[in-house]
Amino acid sequence: MTTLAEPDLPRATDGDIAAINLQSARRSAWARFAQDPRLPGVVEAVVDQERLAAQFLGNLDALDRLDTLASQFSRVDDSFRPSLVHAEVASTAHRFHDARDHVARAVLMGAPREAIERHTLTIDQACGVALDAVLAARRRIATASDRLEDLMPLGSVLADLEHFAEADAVYRQAFYSYDDVSPFPLAWVCFQLGMLWGELVPLPDPDLAALWYRRAIAYLPGYVKARVHLAEVCASQDQTGEAEALLRPALPSRDPEVRWRLADVLIAQDRFEEAEMELHAARSGFEELLEGHLLAFADHAAEFYAGSGNDCRRALELARANVANRPTRRAINKAQSIASKADTRSRPPGPTPSAADCFLAPEVAISGEKR
Amino acid sequence: MSDHVDGPRSIGDPPADITDLFAFTSPKDPARTVLAMCVFPSAGESAVFSNVIDYAMAVRRVSVTGIGNAAKFQPADEEFRFTFRFDVLDRDAAGNVIQRGVCILSDGRELPVTVNDEKGESTPEGAFRVFAGLRSDPFYLAWIPATLEKVPNLLQHDNVLCMVVEFDTRGVLDSEKGSLFGVIAETLPTEPPGRIGHPVARIDWIGRPEQTNVRLNNPALFGVDDIRDLWNQQTPFAISKELQPLFLQRLKDSFADWDIRDGKADWTPEALAANANVFLDDFLLFDIAKPITDQSHLEIEKSTIDGRPYQTGGGRTVDANSIDILLTWLVNHDREFLLGGATGATKPGTKTFPYFATPNTEIQTVAGSVELAAAPDDVWSVIGQFNLQWHPSVARARLIGEGLGQLRRLETRDGREIVERLAEIDNTKRSYRYTLVSGVPASHYAGVINVRPKGNGSVAEWRVDFLANNQPDIAVRTSVSRLVETGLGSLKTRFGVPHDDARRA
Repeated sequence: MTTLAEPDLPRATDGDIAAINLQSARRSAWARFAQDPRLPGVVEAVVDQERLAAQFLGNLDALDRLDTLASQFSRVDDSFRPSLVHAEVASTAHRFHDARDHVARAVLMGAPREAIERHTLTIDQACGVALDAVLAARRRIATASDRLEDLMPLGSVLADLEHFAEADAVYRQAFYSYDDVSPFPLAWVCFQLGMLWGELVPLPDPDLAALWYRRAIAYLPGYVKARVHLAEVCASQDQTGEAEALLRPALPSRDPEVRWRLADVLIAQDRFEEAEMELHAARSGFEELLEGHLLAFADHAAEFYAGSGNDCRRALELARANVANRPTRRAINKAQSIASKADTRSRPPGPTPSAADCFLAPEVAISGEKR
Repeated sequence: MSDHVDGPRSIGDPPADITDLFAFTSPKDPARTVLAMCVFPSAGESAVFSNVIDYAMAVRRVSVTGIGNAAKFQPADEEFRFTFRFDVLDRDAAGNVIQRGVCILSDGRELPVTVNDEKGESTPEGAFRVFAGLRSDPFYLAWIPATLEKVPNLLQHDNVLCMVVEFDTRGVLDSEKGSLFGVIAETLPTEPPGRIGHPVARIDWIGRPEQTNVRLNNPALFGVDDIRDLWNQQTPFAISKELQPLFLQRLKDSFADWDIRDGKADWTPEALAANANVFLDDFLLFDIAKPITDQSHLEIEKSTIDGRPYQTGGGRTVDANSIDILLTWLVNHDREFLLGGATGATKPGTKTFPYFATPNTEIQTVAGSVELAAAPDDVWSVIGQFNLQWHPSVARARLIGEGLGQLRRLETRDGREIVERLAEIDNTKRSYRYTLVSGVPASHYAGVINVRPKGNGSVAEWRVDFLANNQPDIAVRTSVSRLVETGLGSLKTRFGVPHDDARRA
């Protein structure tokens, strides 16, 4: 495991301290919200902290809490603020159509232009809409502020547009220019660089990806997503022992992807009985999450069902839902791959419709017959 | 707020964010001076310090080099510095998380400190004593600064992390060379700035309260740049000469606005400029030869600007009403005291070390919801009745009065009597809010019951927030949870559950 003894890495507050302080601040913000939901900045603080808890600590219950928060807040505040909170919460749960509706409502209620622009950019970027315009806006904002929180989405849209070298440069700029000591932003940059080199570039560099994932975990040992992605890299290099060691500490997070990847590792080790239990837990976990937040988890659950989850029909349903929600290049590629796999598994020999036809035309069942 | 959340950085580390700085004479021993800095706005019960920050308080001797419209306070170069550093977390024999650290004293000695140990640590001869840990936030702000509307304390029940240094005044500060001092507090990365190290030398600093959020970033000045981060990166006692005009102009603009907030101009342009000049040199002044009281905060600056010798030790005590003292000065030049919507913080300071009150316990929340196979209006027609007679644990209910403010007196089947008051009701949103009058050992007790549509049915939600009163949290929580769960459970029987739920069950 990489430690932060590496001399060229910015130092940050110990990850365990930061995690405790995040939970502490999160609970305190909720207490302030309970005391008076209209206190200036309180609802926004709860949203920020719940999002951090979900993103970095794998605390997926945050999505339920955010829904409760938005609904409670809209009952006590008649300004544009509840619409913006609803938009943020909907975006967090990948309900982008809802988010757009809430942003439109916020516009009518007189929300500040900057806030509207920020939300709209986030939604457009997540949905892969008008990416050239998004890129121009992201460049303008990042150039003006030079702050990590503005550089990160710029790096992300550059990666979406396959400008990988520039995305790498922007992420590194964010990393080395960060002027505070929270490990969350630094771990976030490391994770994005891991994703860039491990999953997004045409020829992935698993060693470089692993290096960045290790750094993310060194900053934040409880970073569930980084553990999962690094475990995948390790498993792909037959380092199943290390992969298991990475995943076990993340089990309490309730993220079913941990169970899924652990099952894959156990299968690779011929520990089929344990793997079956983990797969069962992953399946239940995904279904429970999908029931409450379909669009937030459709993407990963589709991958699960297309792989070890072994349910192509469910995978295709979820992939379609994901593409309908956010037709990004990546989502479409994934869905094509799933449709193609489903097609291969279920079709009798004969002419094959294109994979894209399968997922883009919902009236066509995966077997090619009308529903 | 004093210096709470005083920059636009959205993803900073909260234990680096300074909230307040204090300098006062020990209420227990007038021969000792106390310096204290607080960090981490709205810290929760488990909050701890960062292990990569130097938390420092620096004191310099100051001379008065001008009075009236030429008022000026000149700091000397010699510095008395107290620096706290903290370790990563450890666990005690019982498995509880503990954090240890040191305070590097002005004479270079290191004094170990264990976070949240109320006794603190003293040097062998007793000249110094230090504390670090969670305390009730001593600051209170009971105004909406943009509009000067009075409100209850916006920081009620908040906690902060405090660091306290108490020392023998004469032995450490030597009043023979002058008794007036300025103090600042700062948070600095333990790594120096550089290509490999941290990109900035300083994360946050504070002199007098409200330099950033009230004076530089006056919320009533529209369309101006937020310069708080730029200010926070300045070197205390040595603001960049290049940037001084920028900060000075902002202070003048801000003070001109504050002056007319009550519709009257109480400041001449010259006095207003003098005020800006004094506040540009941002350090908290205190005089160890004069009395420091709850009222003496800013008296040194104010008297000097008004052209007369100061009478008190200035400084800032734990209970000083610093925001109202400042606003009164800025808005009406001390013509009439402006009292906000609160007269004190959640808890007053204490007369004994560490002088900051024990932390507030967190508000407890019990929340439940149930999906029902009935239209929202049908469910609301039952549970929207304030008498709670639908609840199986309620043996008898009586309403007293009508409309908002009416009381419900509930006799439960286990023989308790609970009295609650209707605080808000909105039948269009199918929601009501109530507060406790008596019958549950809790304070700040408020409940909300509401119904919202979901699919073809509805969701009934019940949430109760409270602070346990002289009882363990778990005891009150169990009792409230039982009430909520039993009530919501009974609705399933009455209205049924949606088909999918029924099938799963």
